Amino acid sequence: MSDARLKWLLLPAALFVLAIYAWPTLGLFRNAFNETGPTGAMVETWSLKTTAEVLEDNFTFDLTLNSLWLSLSATLLALAMSYPVALFLFRTNSRFRGLLAVVAIMPMLISGVVRVFGWLAILGDRGLVNSLAQSFGLISAPMKLVFNWTGVTIGLAESIMPYMILALLAGFGQLDRTLEEASRSLGATPMRTFLRVTLPLSLPALALAAGLGFVLSMSAYITPKLLGGGRVFVLATEIFEQATTNTNWPMASVLAIYTLVLLLLLLVTSNLAARGLKR
Amino acid sequence: MSYLELSGLQKRYRDSVAVDDVSLSVEKGEAVALLGPSGCGKTTTLRMLAGLVDPDRGAIRLDGAEVTKLPAHKRNMGYVFQSYALFPHLSVARNVGFGLEERGVAKAEIARRVAEALAMVRLSGLDRRRPRELSGGQQQRVALARSLVIRPSVLLLDESLSNLDAKLRDTMRHEIRSIQRSLGITTLFVTHDQVEALTMCDRIAVMHRGGIAQIGSPEDIYERPATRFVAEFVGRANALPATHDAEGRVVLWGERLPVAAPASGEFDLFVRPQRIRILPISEAVAEGMVRVTGKVLRSVFVGDHVEVLVEGAAGQIQVELQSGTALPQEGAEVALVWQARDTLPFPRETA
Amino acid sequence: MNGAGRVLSSLAALVYALILAPIAIVVALAFSADNFILFPPSGYSLRWFRALSTHGPLLSALWLSVQIASVVTLLSLVIGVPAALALAKGRFSGRDALTNFFLAPLLLPTLITGLALLLFFTPLRLTATLPGLVLGHMTVTVPFVIRMMTTAFSTLPDDIEAAAATLGAKPWRVVRRVTLPLVTPGLIACAETVISLFLSGPRAATLPVEMVRYVEGRTDPLIAALSVVLIVATLIVVVIVERLVGIARAVGK
Repeated sequence: MSDARLKWLLLPAALFVLAIYAWPTLGLFRNAFNETGPTGAMVETWSLKTTAEVLEDNFTFDLTLNSLWLSLSATLLALAMSYPVALFLFRTNSRFRGLLAVVAIMPMLISGVVRVFGWLAILGDRGLVNSLAQSFGLISAPMKLVFNWTGVTIGLAESIMPYMILALLAGFGQLDRTLEEASRSLGATPMRTFLRVTLPLSLPALALAAGLGFVLSMSAYITPKLLGGGRVFVLATEIFEQATTNTNWPMASVLAIYTLVLLLLLLVTSNLAARGLKR
Repeated sequence: MSYLELSGLQKRYRDSVAVDDVSLSVEKGEAVALLGPSGCGKTTTLRMLAGLVDPDRGAIRLDGAEVTKLPAHKRNMGYVFQSYALFPHLSVARNVGFGLEERGVAKAEIARRVAEALAMVRLSGLDRRRPRELSGGQQQRVALARSLVIRPSVLLLDESLSNLDAKLRDTMRHEIRSIQRSLGITTLFVTHDQVEALTMCDRIAVMHRGGIAQIGSPEDIYERPATRFVAEFVGRANALPATHDAEGRVVLWGERLPVAAPASGEFDLFVRPQRIRILPISEAVAEGMVRVTGKVLRSVFVGDHVEVLVEGAAGQIQVELQSGTALPQEGAEVALVWQARDTLPFPRETA
Repeated sequence: MNGAGRVLSSLAALVYALILAPIAIVVALAFSADNFILFPPSGYSLRWFRALSTHGPLLSALWLSVQIASVVTLLSLVIGVPAALALAKGRFSGRDALTNFFLAPLLLPTLITGLALLLFFTPLRLTATLPGLVLGHMTVTVPFVIRMMTTAFSTLPDDIEAAAATLGAKPWRVVRRVTLPLVTPGLIACAETVISLFLSGPRAATLPVEMVRYVEGRTDPLIAALSVVLIVATLIVVVIVERLVGIARAVGK
């Protein structure tokens, strides 16, 4: 097919992406240079005042720490859970393999709100965990597992797991089974083979999956807002707060770009780590 | 003016030249092979002919008309792909009838011609099958039928026998050749298999590094290779380093041969293993025959022939004898004899 | 299976249990007879499904979501498939750059895209309107379609389309008679993914927003009933599509 005519096929998509994506994103950057006047209305200008406000605010620092800490915990938890599942799926010869794979990524197919609701039912004051613990006499009062950092960490970990499982599986594809067979033939037990061969070789995939999980956690909004019960403040929740409740667009924009830069740095770091581990 | 003219075709990719100034004239009804190792440019040339690749330079003329700029779907050339490229979502009958449908032929006529084409390749009755249900050999025949049914002006085959097993290849070689002859269709084959080229074609163009090294009949190519490459690529040959004496005659293993040496430079003598006879050392040899001596190292039985390795003063020579002939003893001193005209000197290549 | 394999399977099973726990609970709760979230429920009933069928705002939000899903899927395919075809088959300079450009929306977190769209749509009074929601979702679905379909198109062996051309088919005939039929399973899978992405999308779609509003107001099993409806709907879509793809594959390839 002639290449010139092919290019026309790109036109609708190009127009769409330009108009509905590129332009608004540019608008976001533009807004970061605006200011919010004393009345709360937005003032169109080219100033770095809003940026300075955000960067100098201690609250921003708190938010950043919160986001980083939350993402780290959620990622580590998710990683600990995703690794066995991914390895199992990779190795299994069961004929239910396809089905098991779908089940593993099921959280991705279920709405975030539904998942939050499920966790409320499990971790809530009158939920499953507390009911069971109380009926077995393990505790006298319900444990506070939701509407706080604990609940959010758990819920967030579950929501990023499907992506991490997929990333790990992709990375495992590079693992050579004959290397494990060689290790076994040389006398290493399965556990030793895992520790000395499988795990080290899968580290690049781990790094990438962790990076992915981290980025996803940093930009998560629904889980922190709903499961946090108003007590969990991270960058994502603050951005939306500023944008919708306060309609302080310049501030929301600055925060968004700040988060974006942070994310880029994290991505670059994780990619470098993965590459370094590959050698 | 021949039926199909290729003049000065050239194609570059990035920093390598795939096809370098290739010119070829093909008569109507002729079968020509483009023979060469992988990477020599033969497939690129074929694809340029079909209109699947645009040449950087050069022209293609078909029956007097220039077709170089014509897109593939207007050239009316049948192309049989190495992978057969059968449409997996269509039945055999619809595969074969594809080109006819594109030409707006009436349904009844299509059915008739498809049946005819399938009969010609001996696949009648398989018209409702899907390509994935057919064996490799059957798929190849469907691909052939599909290209022939449109009555193309030229038939192009791209290594179409290379995916078949040896026995099937033998059979198909004969079948394709007889179909080609009975239809009188101008055909170009691309192949790296010299047996294919030698058995299926009227003329062979041996290609090397993007250019044509020699064009000629199978016999010409085999008996009178023009370059060292052709001699090495087509048929088996011994390459024997030799020198010449003050009078310009070849000296091989200390013996003077009744063969003229090339004017200058170092050279090797090419002799085909089948042309050498092994004689007892004492036997006399006629005038004009080449004779060198050596010791038999070993003999290897290869079914329809025997390979005998003989070591001489400055190297080794391999001789091919028909199985059933008396074999010389290992370690025996023998004379190797061949006709002077079977000696082909070629310059030594500095790698 | 050896010892290590058993350990792995047990660990995996444990994690699977954790993954499925919230979903299982939600399904169980949907059938609860209680007034609030209590697990295990004291009794079972269909009262919350009945309550769902009379809850105006949630139902209209659900209906709206279905409408939006259909429009988004259709438009995304119409825009995305030709672009994917051009990117997969074309050989022009800047093709790689263009591909990255089209896939960029998938790289930025939806947080950023969502905010940018909010800021863009508000002065245009497009927020929370049908066109606005459709366009908003398309920022993710169009790149998704492009990515999936470029993969689908590039797995077609080159020779087959070249063969059609040598047999006399003009370029658009090649697309119609060969390329599209062979790529149909990929198309169907693509449409399915778009639809299910939709039913689970946490962005500013009407249904999740309504749901959030409800959950913030009170915590009773109504949402559980709704969740079950959504899960069942997603599963139905997935199953139907797998069947369709299976049929397409059997008929086609």
